[in-house]
Amino acid sequence: MENAWLIPLFPLLSFLLLLLIGKRMKEASAYVGILMTLASLVFSILVLFERFQEPSYLVKFNWLTIGDMHLTAGFEVNQLNALMLFIVSLVSFLVHTYSKGYMHGDERFHIFYAYLGLFTFAMLGLVISPNILQTYIFWELVGVGSFLLIGFYYYKEEAKAAAKKAFIMTRIGDVGLLIGMILLFWQTKSFEYSEIFKAVEAGSVSNTMITLTAILIFIGAIGKSGQFPLHTWLPDAMEGPTPVSALIHAATMVAAGVYLVAALFPVFSASKTALLTVAVIGGFTAIFAASIGIVQTDIKRVLAYSTVSQLGYMMLALGSAGYVAGVFHLMTHAFFKALLFLAAGSVIHAVHTQNIEEMGGLWKKLKWTAPLFLIGTLAISGVPGLSGFFSKDEILAAAWEGGHPVLFILALIAAFMTAFYMFRLFFMVFTGENRGNQKEVHESPSVMTLPMLVLGILAIVGGYVNTPWFGSFLGDWLVDGNTALGHAHIEGPAWIMFAATIVSLAGILLAYLIYGKRSIAPDWLSGKGGILHTILYNKFYIDEFYQITIVAITKGISYFLRFIDVFIVEGLVKAVTGMVQGLGNIGSKLQSGQVQTYGAVAFLGLAVLVVIYALTGGYLR
Amino acid sequence: MNLQSILSILVFSPLLGIIVLALLPKTQEKAVKAIGILATLPALILSLAVYAHFLAGKNLSDFSISVPWIKFRGINAQEPFFTVSYELAVSGFQLVLVVLTAIVSTLAAIGAAKFIKKEWKGYYMLFLLLLTGMLGVFTAENLILFFIFFEITLIPTFFLIGKWGYFEKEKAAYSFLLYNGLGSAVLLIVIMILFAKTGTSNIEILRQMMADPSGPLKDGFKLGLFIALLIAFGVKLPIFPLHTWMLRVHVQAPPSVVMIHSGILLKIGAYGLIRFGMGIFPKQFESLATLIAILGVINLLYGAFLAFIQTDFKMVLAYSSISHMGIVLIGLAAMNEAGIQGAIFQVVSHGLISALLFFLVGVIYERTETSFIDKLGGLAKGMPLAAGFLLAAAMASLGLPGMSGFVSEFMAFLGLFKVEPWIAAVGTIGIIMTAAYLLRAVLGMTYGKARREFDGGLDLKGAELVPVFVLMLLIVLIGVYPSVLSSPLQATLETILLGLGG
Amino acid sequence: MSQVPASAFLALALILFCIGLYGALTKRNTVIVLISIELMLNAVNINLVTFSKYGLYPSINGQVFALFAMAVAAAEAAVGLAILMALYRNKKTVHIDEMNEMKN
Repeated sequence: MENAWLIPLFPLLSFLLLLLIGKRMKEASAYVGILMTLASLVFSILVLFERFQEPSYLVKFNWLTIGDMHLTAGFEVNQLNALMLFIVSLVSFLVHTYSKGYMHGDERFHIFYAYLGLFTFAMLGLVISPNILQTYIFWELVGVGSFLLIGFYYYKEEAKAAAKKAFIMTRIGDVGLLIGMILLFWQTKSFEYSEIFKAVEAGSVSNTMITLTAILIFIGAIGKSGQFPLHTWLPDAMEGPTPVSALIHAATMVAAGVYLVAALFPVFSASKTALLTVAVIGGFTAIFAASIGIVQTDIKRVLAYSTVSQLGYMMLALGSAGYVAGVFHLMTHAFFKALLFLAAGSVIHAVHTQNIEEMGGLWKKLKWTAPLFLIGTLAISGVPGLSGFFSKDEILAAAWEGGHPVLFILALIAAFMTAFYMFRLFFMVFTGENRGNQKEVHESPSVMTLPMLVLGILAIVGGYVNTPWFGSFLGDWLVDGNTALGHAHIEGPAWIMFAATIVSLAGILLAYLIYGKRSIAPDWLSGKGGILHTILYNKFYIDEFYQITIVAITKGISYFLRFIDVFIVEGLVKAVTGMVQGLGNIGSKLQSGQVQTYGAVAFLGLAVLVVIYALTGGYLR
Repeated sequence: MNLQSILSILVFSPLLGIIVLALLPKTQEKAVKAIGILATLPALILSLAVYAHFLAGKNLSDFSISVPWIKFRGINAQEPFFTVSYELAVSGFQLVLVVLTAIVSTLAAIGAAKFIKKEWKGYYMLFLLLLTGMLGVFTAENLILFFIFFEITLIPTFFLIGKWGYFEKEKAAYSFLLYNGLGSAVLLIVIMILFAKTGTSNIEILRQMMADPSGPLKDGFKLGLFIALLIAFGVKLPIFPLHTWMLRVHVQAPPSVVMIHSGILLKIGAYGLIRFGMGIFPKQFESLATLIAILGVINLLYGAFLAFIQTDFKMVLAYSSISHMGIVLIGLAAMNEAGIQGAIFQVVSHGLISALLFFLVGVIYERTETSFIDKLGGLAKGMPLAAGFLLAAAMASLGLPGMSGFVSEFMAFLGLFKVEPWIAAVGTIGIIMTAAYLLRAVLGMTYGKARREFDGGLDLKGAELVPVFVLMLLIVLIGVYPSVLSSPLQATLETILLGLGG
Repeated sequence: MSQVPASAFLALALILFCIGLYGALTKRNTVIVLISIELMLNAVNINLVTFSKYGLYPSINGQVFALFAMAVAAAEAAVGLAILMALYRNKKTVHIDEMNEMKN
């Protein structure tokens, strides 16, 4: 574990190398990226296994001295960090591999890999940070990685807008995190997680302050994890290449918000209000995003709203004091959502469209992609036996036990919707007739299907590390007797599991009836509830709302200030210069050019001086 | 070589270049350019040598020099002699600024070879004179000497703007001279009053004298002097509402002059505020801290909001400079280690970043003959390197961690949140706005559809890469390993805080 | 031998000076103005000589200065007339109020 700091450095090396010499390497750049992330993955696995046997490991050194305060940098390997290292480096490695096929033929191939390296570096750095300042630093860097990759197709206006939006909206959240972090610093005199926890535990921070800082930090998480009301950037971020969506906007970066709340869980759990805020925002986002996902027609956007919704789920879990449930779902979600995105990428690669209304009947043509997509769909829907089922069950139990019946019901409805829209997607893409006009549909090369296969296996078995049947290994290990993190396993009533199963099966059934068997007309929603469909299809008009409020207000202020700048500030200056000029004009009239006038004036002045001198005797008193 | 004479050689070495240039015929374009660039090197090498001397753990006071220079008697014979000494010295803070000046000047000289299209001889002679002035400003240990160097910076800048600028160059040059002339008039009054009342113009002695409550000046009088200083350096910084001259200069001056202007000359304002405002009048500064914090936030937000709607990228950068100087004020107003260190970091970091940005703007303007955002677009296709560096510089400017902007912004806010959390909280809107206006402008220029066809070979090449790489490297270096900058500052900080606490 | 009082010399000087001043300030003809200036200079010379005789510390200095002033006046008159000639050749006038070229 002493060498855990090497893990983020491999991708950084890949980034620098590719920037410098990538142009000459062309598509061989992929090997640099793949090898470097493979190294990270190997180290991560070693660290993870080491962490099973050894206690946490922490190294720090002075980074910046401010008077007598020493800010440190370093790295820490604890349970959460080790797990995150593994997840991030695994998904990153798989995406690096997959991209070799997906990005084939792009003229900025090496730049793509360089950006991927930068992002992976930042993300890995984020998850081993031992203090909140370092977390913030990498937090921003992953934001840049995400920004660069969303805007990878820079010549597309949509990509440019999406990248800008992503950066600015997450920045709004980041400012919350920054304020929260600084306030916490002046309360506890430290950025170190351990010191902060100690101070919070010792009660040396007032309750209001904890609530305030926790909520401010949560705003950061809202921005990064695409929670309501800062969620709108995430669906737009789908303008980036699909492997990027899988890596950043499904498995890793967007989960950073969840990771942050988990890493600071002792602070959050010290304030009931803060926890409730997290739970309510999470629960609301879960159902809100799911309802939008039902009617979208872009395959990636459906998945994006699904991601938002699932992240809301994780927040709900954390807010209900279900630390293990949240982290567990983070892990399983990383697997199956990355799988879904990669599979979606494979579909797009084959049919060159993202509109699901132009797809259909691809089951036979995509021999590998289709079953893998089905696995992901089953997992996310919470069908028993797959990973999503166990983690979702854990969350529902946590919500129930946490004493939020309303949120519990919201979560159940969201689970139903999830099952419904995911299978709507599945049926529309893979069954029925082909509605598009694609001539030749080819399965993707094995460099793309193999990573999907790995993720598919993990999406099935990933859940078995923490089940009510075979023991809660993950929970025990994560919590490890730390009471601040809550219980290792929440024993909900048995009916919750059945309720969850029934709900998800009902969702699947409904989707089958509408889009598979077509016994209910697919346009019943848009036909019957026209207004509802329109509202959902336009995502509750949130973007438009922001456009007419925040953007317009900002512009209004700007133009108002420009008015001040041009008329008042400049006007004052003009007034002053005008005055001086006027005085000068009067003065210049004296300069008639007549030497005799000058002489007269000079003589008069002299005479006056002499008179004064005579009267006062030379002293002016 | 005598250590004491090093600073004098450092300051006056550019004059050697002027002499050599004066002897060269105008027509030898290449030789003129080469001499112009080479003449900045002695200062650079010497300043780095001084820095190395500091890193080796030696004392910076080895370099102090003090020679009696002018001596005269007061009105009646009983009064003691008034002495003005020739005093040069460097503390950590000054050293940092001297190194910054030397680096940016060398790079700007390289840039000038590219951007200046006529009469290189005159340009480089004025430029080197300006360099001497700037180096002198940062090393003078004596208010009168400081003022002389301060004035030396004004005159070459006036001509550099007025002769080699763009369309409205004369207007820009005159408003530069007017504002700064007024500022230095106020400064001169303050210096003369201090000199007349105390009989000394040595900064260190003045500092001790002012700290002494039984000193020659009353508190109310000191407050008046401090406000005068605030105005004098507020013009230079600039503080709202004294900023309009600087917009014109940034837009009209040639890029290589703006690199110097935005990178170094504006910093004289911050330097003066820290060294004289805070150093000599700490108590007065403290009593106005809230006002300064509010002024800082106004600067920050005012600049940011206005930058958001500009159509000319140079104007965006000009307002962005106003906005970033707000952070200097915010940091200073915090009156604690974090804040002051943040302010000084911001001075250095903005010097590097804005030099880089203006260099890139110069390059882009040279190729496309416009700097209007809506006339550009899709530059990433024709000139990927320039676009990439522009984006990276914008990221540094908006405070991306890992680059110098973040460290300074973070420390300034860290400091202010301790004393004025509400004002600081309002100020954080500026962080969001900075991201918004910079991305709007930079993405508008580099992303999107290309507005026109660019022929190949437009990208950065050859000597143009030197300034870009050097500046970027320094920006990242400070961002990743800020101790490189913070360690020389510690002694200065202690002195200032001693004044505040004592 | 009764002495002529100092005040008489001074009064003469004053009268001469006033005549000269009046002429210098009011006359349009440049030649007259120059002559008036000579008058004023001579008034000064009388003062110098007077004070060298009747002053607080009588000495030869005043008379030397008077001679010096005469020499300077001669030179000045030469230069002044030369300028006048040049001007007249250019402008065909000797009127002083038409010689305001320095304005603007």
